[in-house]
Amino acid sequence: MKKHITTNPDRLTGILAGIKKSPLNWRECFDFLAVGGGFLLLVPILSAHRVTDFMIFCIFAMSFDLMYGYMGRLSFGHLLFLGTGAYTCGLFIKYINGNPFTAILVGIAAAGVLSIIIGPIIVRTTGACFSLINLAFNYVGFFLVLSPLKTITNGEDGFGVHATSVAFLNPGSKIIMYFFVLFCLLLAFYFLKRLTSSPFGILLRSIKENESRVNFLGYNTFVYKWITFILAGSIAGLAGTLTALNYNYINPNVMDVYSNVGVVFACLIGGAGSLYGVIVGGVVYMLISNFLPIYIQRWEMFLGIAMLLIIFRFRMGIWGYVVGYFEKKKITQRPIEEAVRR
Amino acid sequence: MIYTILYGFTIGAILYFISIGLSLTFGTMRVINFAHSLTYTLGVYMLLTFLSLFGGRFIMAGIFAVIMVILVSYLIERFIIRKLYGESVDYTFIATFAVTLIGIDSIKWIWGVQPHPLSDPLGIYMNLGGFTFPFYRVLIVLIAILLFFALEFFFKKTIVGKIVVAALEDEEGVRCLGVKVHEYFSLVFVLGSALAALGGVFYAPIGAIDPYMGLSILLLAFAVVIVGGMGNLRGTFVSSFSLGMVMSVTARYWSQGAETMVFIVMAIVLIFKPIDI
Repeated sequence: MKKHITTNPDRLTGILAGIKKSPLNWRECFDFLAVGGGFLLLVPILSAHRVTDFMIFCIFAMSFDLMYGYMGRLSFGHLLFLGTGAYTCGLFIKYINGNPFTAILVGIAAAGVLSIIIGPIIVRTTGACFSLINLAFNYVGFFLVLSPLKTITNGEDGFGVHATSVAFLNPGSKIIMYFFVLFCLLLAFYFLKRLTSSPFGILLRSIKENESRVNFLGYNTFVYKWITFILAGSIAGLAGTLTALNYNYINPNVMDVYSNVGVVFACLIGGAGSLYGVIVGGVVYMLISNFLPIYIQRWEMFLGIAMLLIIFRFRMGIWGYVVGYFEKKKITQRPIEEAVRR
Repeated sequence: MIYTILYGFTIGAILYFISIGLSLTFGTMRVINFAHSLTYTLGVYMLLTFLSLFGGRFIMAGIFAVIMVILVSYLIERFIIRKLYGESVDYTFIATFAVTLIGIDSIKWIWGVQPHPLSDPLGIYMNLGGFTFPFYRVLIVLIAILLFFALEFFFKKTIVGKIVVAALEDEEGVRCLGVKVHEYFSLVFVLGSALAALGGVFYAPIGAIDPYMGLSILLLAFAVVIVGGMGNLRGTFVSSFSLGMVMSVTARYWSQGAETMVFIVMAIVLIFKPIDI
C-alpha cells in the first residue's frame, strides 16, 4: 500500500521556524521573574542545596510534561534518559576529561541519541502500551548499568564524579551550583515556553486531542512525535547531567524503575499540560518526598493513596484549580472566545 | 541442553499463566492492568502464610492463596477499575499503579522485606534416558498445557466464554443484545488475576520471593502480550512458550542477559508488526 502521508519539508520547517519568531515580550520577562524569584524565595526557607535538588527535579518534570501534558503520551520510563545523561556525564568526567561543560553537552547528546534510536519504536504506540514499552526500556537500561557494564560503571556501588572547576563553574561550591542550575532551569523553561506556544506546540496539543484528524490535515504525526520524544529525552538528559554534577556521585538508583512514579505524581498534582503547573507540582512532590518520610514510615502507601485521590477527585491539579479560579472571575468580563483560546 | 529446554518450557508456562490475564483484560476492557504484578506477588505471599498455617500442605495452601487473591482482585475491580470505565487509558494505568504501590507497601508491612526461600514441594525426580529432572517443573508445563485446552473449551463452548469472545470483537454489539457486558468483564478480570496468582504459586518454589518480584515478571508478560497480540488467546500461548525458550537459551550463554533479550525480541517485533494501540 502506498503511504499517503508524506512529510512536506516546507511545512515542517515552517512550523519549526514559528518557535523562533516574536522577540522577548513583557509577559515572558514576567514568567522568568516569577519562576526565578520563586526559587530564590525558597532558599531561606529550605537550604540552597535542597533547592538545587528541587530545581533539577523540576527540569526533569518539565521534560516529562512535554510528553505527557502536551503530547498526551504517558511515559513510565522517562528516568532512562535522566540516567543516560547522568551516567554519560559521569563516565566522561571519570575517564576522559574533567571539564563540566563538555560533560554536560556530551550527556545531553547521549540522551538525545538514545531517544533518536529508540524513538521510532516507542512513538508508534499510544496509551498504556507506550508507558509499558518505556518502562521495559528503562528496565533494560537499569539492568545494563547494574551488571553487564559493571566493569566501567562499578555496578550497584556507583562511582564518584569529580569535575574540575572551569571558568566560573565550580561543582564543589553549593552556591555556584545553585545559580548554575537555576540558569539551566530558566533556559529549559524559556525553550519549552517558546516551543509550546508556537505552532509546533499547538500541533502537539492537537495530537493529544485527536491524532487521526491531525493526520488527515496532512501532517505526518510520526515525525512530530519523534521530534518531541527527542527533545523531551534531551532535556531529561540535561537534568541527569546536573544530578551527576550536583551530587558528585552516581549509582543506578538514579534510573530506578519504581522512581518513575514520582514524576508522574508531580505532573498530576501540579496540573499536567502547563509548565507552571509542573514546576509547582515538582516543588510540592519534592517537599513531600523530602519531609514526609521523616514523619511517616509507610511512604509508598501514602503516595499510592494520594495518587488514587488525585485520579478520582482532583484531576486538574493545583495549578488547574488556581487558573480555574481566576478564569471564573474573568469569564464574566471577557468574550467567550478569548477564554476558550487560553 | 535438555535442561535448557525444560527450563524454557517451565518459564514459558509461568509466563503463560501471567500473561493470559493481561491479554484478556486488555482485549475486553482496553485496560492495561498494572495491578497484575500485585496479584501475582500477593498470591505468593498468601501461599507462604497458608503453608505455615496448614503445616506445609502445598496444594491446600495454594488453593486458599488463589481464593484470597480472587477476593482482593474483585475489590480492585469493583472500586477502582469499574469507576474508570470509558476514561482515558492513562488514568486507569496510573490508578492500577497506585494500587500496586499500596499493595506492595502493605506486603512489606505485613511480611517484611527480606526474601523468603521455599523448597520444592514435591521433591520427586524423574529419570529419563540418563537425565534426572525435578518432576515439579514437568508438572507445571503439563498444567499450563491443560489450562490452554481448558480456556479453549471455556471460550468456545460455554455461553459465558462466548459472550466474552464476542465482546472482544465488538463490545457495543454485545451490549445492544441486552447483555450486561461489564459483569462479564469483571469476571474476566478476576479470572486473569486468579491465573496470575496461580502462576505466582507455581513459581514460588523455583524462584526467590521478595516484594518487588512482580515488576520484572509483569514486564516479561507484557512483552509476551505484545508479541502474541493483545487479546489473542492462542498467540499468547505460542509467544509465551517461545519467549520462555528465548530466555532459557540466552541464560545458558549469557546468564544475566535473559530478560534483556526478551525485550530486544519485543522491540524487533514492534518494528515489523503494525500496531494500533
